[in-house]
Amino acid sequence: MTASAPGAPGAPGATRRTSAAPGRNAFVYRPTASPQEAAIWSPRQVAMTDLRTVMGRAYPRVTGLFREKSWVFFEILLPFLSTSAFVFVYRALEAPQQYIGFVVLGGAMTAFWLNVIWMMAQQLWWEKSQGNLELYFAAPMNIMAVLFGMAFGGFVMSSTRAVAVLVIATTLYGVTFAIDQWALLIGVFFLTLAALYGLGMVLASLFLMWGREAWHLTQLLVEPVYFVSGLNFPVGRLGVLGSVAISILPLAVGLDAMRQLAFADDPYPIGTPSPAIEALILAVMVVVFLVLARWALVTLERRARQEGRLSVRWQ
Amino acid sequence: MSAASEPAIRPDAGGLASPEWGGFDMARTRGGGWRDVRRSFATAVRLGWQMEANWTDPVLFFIYSVAKPLASALILVVMLDVISGGARPEYRAFVVVGSALWSFVIAGVSGLAWMILDDRERYRMLKYLYVSPSDFLALVFGRGVARVGVGAMGALITLGVGVVALGVPFDIGRIDWPMLVPVLALGILSSLAIGLLLAAICMQTRQESWSYPEAAAGALFLVSGVVFPLAVLPAPVQALGLITPLTWWIEGIRRSLFPGGVTAIGGPGSVWTQWTGEAAPSSAAIILVLLGTGAVATLGAVAVFRASDRRAKDRGLLDQTTGS
Repeated sequence: MTASAPGAPGAPGATRRTSAAPGRNAFVYRPTASPQEAAIWSPRQVAMTDLRTVMGRAYPRVTGLFREKSWVFFEILLPFLSTSAFVFVYRALEAPQQYIGFVVLGGAMTAFWLNVIWMMAQQLWWEKSQGNLELYFAAPMNIMAVLFGMAFGGFVMSSTRAVAVLVIATTLYGVTFAIDQWALLIGVFFLTLAALYGLGMVLASLFLMWGREAWHLTQLLVEPVYFVSGLNFPVGRLGVLGSVAISILPLAVGLDAMRQLAFADDPYPIGTPSPAIEALILAVMVVVFLVLARWALVTLERRARQEGRLSVRWQ
Repeated sequence: MSAASEPAIRPDAGGLASPEWGGFDMARTRGGGWRDVRRSFATAVRLGWQMEANWTDPVLFFIYSVAKPLASALILVVMLDVISGGARPEYRAFVVVGSALWSFVIAGVSGLAWMILDDRERYRMLKYLYVSPSDFLALVFGRGVARVGVGAMGALITLGVGVVALGVPFDIGRIDWPMLVPVLALGILSSLAIGLLLAAICMQTRQESWSYPEAAAGALFLVSGVVFPLAVLPAPVQALGLITPLTWWIEGIRRSLFPGGVTAIGGPGSVWTQWTGEAAPSSAAIILVLLGTGAVATLGAVAVFRASDRRAKDRGLLDQTTGS
């Protein structure tokens, strides 16, 4: 009989072994009187399942870093060379050293933006194409936990690239930082990441509805966003366009705040708010994007179910 | 029913029937040579274009095709204006032409590599294409050409916007056509060769390879004199740039479209000037070096692609799908 097979639920010793595993108590098999009763989960079970979902979705991204080493070359060295090209543009123009620092900081932050675009925004569409999306929705977990897992794994992946670009470029091109407000700088950095990944979640939800448009629009969000975010120059130089970017794009406002904080000794072009105000803008963005992502996910999932788009592939 | 009324062998399939004598005609396994290759290529180009262009309406497709190269050019124009305040118009032409052409390079480089990834990871058709009677290389090139077409459109419009809106000085009467035509053709071939090299690499790597072509293009961007003269680079890096066909291609296009403009290869402090004593390479030198470096890149890319093809078959990579 299956029920009495060693290790099966209900078999002697199965409960003891499962519950002995650290953090697994919430998943221990419990006999119930009916399926309806079994479906009633305690808040702890829900929380633990979501936590495991986050860890499970982050796992392939983090582990993948160690599985195939070619990413070190393609994800770190080559983007560093790309950043270097803009450093040399400024050198050719005999720009002040501060601008080279701007480029280096921008080059480091692109790692996160690219990750948000390629591996957050597009991911649910990608999962749909691969046939995993219906499994996500069928599994007893919160899809937001999947997005958080993707964000966490993506953050780990991108951090390696960002740190590498920052360290190598700073050393090679003699960039010196002058930081007076460490706490604010660190706070702005994490708020920027939270807002970026929040935006990624919103886009991921939107892309749930789309087909190949998602792929193409993802590409559209790279260079034009670099431009309006002032990736290689102070965004205040763009005038009204820069102000609009600061109010809606976490990359623009975060980068501007970090530049003001990281090069405190150098004169900074006027036209943008102070770092403290920009930190506040980022905090608002975090809340807005997370709430929006939650709403978009629920709404668009329902609509995608109604229109039968959740399992449509290769359209 | 119509199916029942059809003959067992349709008239247009007559050539596929068994020979009169009923055996197996070995000659058929050899295919139609160049005629088949040409047909495979043309079909792949058509398919590639339809896949590239039929996902949306023409207006959105146009915006998509133009926004990327235009934004790249604008980033550089703003950088230039931030520092020089618009005091160097000749340098503005230099960066606009360089970034416009670079969109073409990115299209060529990523087009071929993405063909492999698209068909392996997304549509899962690579293995079927591979076992079809079509020449695999012709299919890869054909699909890549569609993206090159999109890239060419973006490059032309960026140049147009540069001339009309960004004040790039341009006189159509001064175009050096005898130089432009061969340089353009050789440059396209070289871009496709680099794309083939990336396709060979992507055949071996995983899903994150989507970003590899652009990463590789970013590295070439540094050494090809696209938006700044090579003279600002350290000498060994300049030397690396001089053996890249793209450097000579961009220099040749600049020279033919804007005669007398800023050179990316020569000038004070450049390795070229130190080696040759010339302020800038002559038109003949540009064409000859482009021909030589382009030939090496093309032959090398084909050899690497063939080796990658063999390894992919050996390791079962043609139908591998990955995810993370």
